[in-house]
Amino acid sequence: MSLDKRITLQQAAEIIKDGSSLTFSGFTIWRRPMAIVFELIRQHRKHLHLIEVNGGSHTEFLVGAGCADIWESCWVGHELYGKYGANVSRKVGNKELIVEDYSHAEMMFRFAAAANGSPYAVTQTSLGTDIHNPEYDMLGRAGLRDGKRIAKHKYQFTEDPFFGAGSQVLIPAAKVDIAVLCVQQVGEEGTVRVNGQFYSDPEVARAADITIVMAEEIVPEEYLRRNADQNTIATFEVNHILECPYGAHPTGMFGRYDVDGSFLKDFYGRTRTQEGFDDFANEWIHGQSHMSYLEKLGWPRMLKLKANTALNYSVREKGGK
Amino acid sequence: MAIEYATPEEYGLADLMCCAAAREVQDNEVVFAGTGLPMVAIMLAQKTHAPNLKLIFEAGTLDGRPPEIPTSVGDARCEMGASRSSGLYDAFSIAQRGYVDLGFLGGAEVDEYGNVNTTCIGDYLNPELRLTGSGGNPDINSFAKRTVFIMVHEKRRFTPNVSYITSPGWRVKKWPGGEFVHRRELYGAAYRGGPSAVISTAGVFRFDEQSGRIYLDTCHPGKSPAEIKDMCHFDLDISRANGETLPPTREELYIIHEVLDPEQIFVPKVNKG
Repeated sequence: MSLDKRITLQQAAEIIKDGSSLTFSGFTIWRRPMAIVFELIRQHRKHLHLIEVNGGSHTEFLVGAGCADIWESCWVGHELYGKYGANVSRKVGNKELIVEDYSHAEMMFRFAAAANGSPYAVTQTSLGTDIHNPEYDMLGRAGLRDGKRIAKHKYQFTEDPFFGAGSQVLIPAAKVDIAVLCVQQVGEEGTVRVNGQFYSDPEVARAADITIVMAEEIVPEEYLRRNADQNTIATFEVNHILECPYGAHPTGMFGRYDVDGSFLKDFYGRTRTQEGFDDFANEWIHGQSHMSYLEKLGWPRMLKLKANTALNYSVREKGGK
Repeated sequence: MAIEYATPEEYGLADLMCCAAAREVQDNEVVFAGTGLPMVAIMLAQKTHAPNLKLIFEAGTLDGRPPEIPTSVGDARCEMGASRSSGLYDAFSIAQRGYVDLGFLGGAEVDEYGNVNTTCIGDYLNPELRLTGSGGNPDINSFAKRTVFIMVHEKRRFTPNVSYITSPGWRVKKWPGGEFVHRRELYGAAYRGGPSAVISTAGVFRFDEQSGRIYLDTCHPGKSPAEIKDMCHFDLDISRANGETLPPTREELYIIHEVLDPEQIFVPKVNKG
């Protein structure tokens, strides 16, 4: 590994190949690596396998643009700005997308297992639900369970052999090629400091074979190492870094800027159809760079979203109002 | 100070549902709440009769005391005043460990055993409409001692067969065959309880723990048990109906609209005057 981990936005997207499995930092509409997502769409990436603790606006963009064949997760939508994932919904209806449903805790525990090198996790969640309906193993139905990157089984039941606690569900580790993170700060050598809730970032970074960290700012390592107890992810878990201010927009970044609710409402309202999505992508993604995108958004809009440094959220904007 | 109940002109259905839900909470309980009305209800309880409740948000806030309503569980407001801000592994581990007394959840469809669907409408393999998916709904519902569902009441949503069991009720499917059994049989040592109430736009419903069946508890003002029975596709037990849902108090309305959600993000202000 080269000592210099810095790459460009374009290079970050190029590391993700057609057919790669991919996961992300953040939670629903918070700290999603949108600038890289937009670059993947510009580069017409295909056949991605998205495997994530939860989906959100970034999922909707990648799926709407036809970049993904498989979405393996538990939830997609835009929270209060769009009550479901209209692009996922349309593509699963048209059989253009395979959706493999797990529960939220199952997805989290699957990543935790991958992060600590275990082949599977054990849990008691979701017993008796259709998540465990054997007819609804969609990757199995598609003949994709090769036992290599995609587990041989969606889940297995077992009885607790140690304490007689009854039924247990075994769920496979979430083996994933690349994790793309979007955080407040990364050091020159890759130390990551997340402010606010870190969601499932430490586990997804550790689970992935390659971890790319896009930060609001690259800061001196020495600065982060002065308070190592405040750091979230260690250098050697990170392969590549890049600086990209406002790289999470339209999702939010704790302490820096809020979710752009009106942008997400507009996206949700306009992308129920493929024509609508393509029109939206032509307006905001294709032919743009990150800088021209920010210019198009404009200062007044970004200032409205800017977080108050004492409160960590914007006092000019709440819930798109 | 005497409790002053609001008059029907002073509140809307969302207010009534939030207040009814808040009253399900006891002080000192550990409560897990999702985005939307569940969040308003739990914070209303925190600011009234349950000041010592411990609030957990799924994204990773433990014992939070937000001064105003967060826009979602990932919001910076969630962790204000929190005991700990961390992540989902902690939140779900804590839930699976058995710390959670009460979960507040939503749903698109519910059956008479409290099985809830948030995944799709129609055949899962050929869905008419794909919804958000499970989120943490089944997890909180599997792990908490009690869960309360807050739902819009439409006849199609109160159905004998939900399109997909996303979240486990009192009688659930035993795989691989899919025959219905009492959840106690499946959950073993992890059995702690199950759905305790559904609060809809029509009334408050509860469950008989033995039979697992839903019954009508209280009707929201203006609705009769017979009317509510007619608003369900399954055969609703109204034999235990217990009068009207208590209206919001003026204090509760003040907290909802002036303290928690003045921007009316989740709860619209009603002015029927």
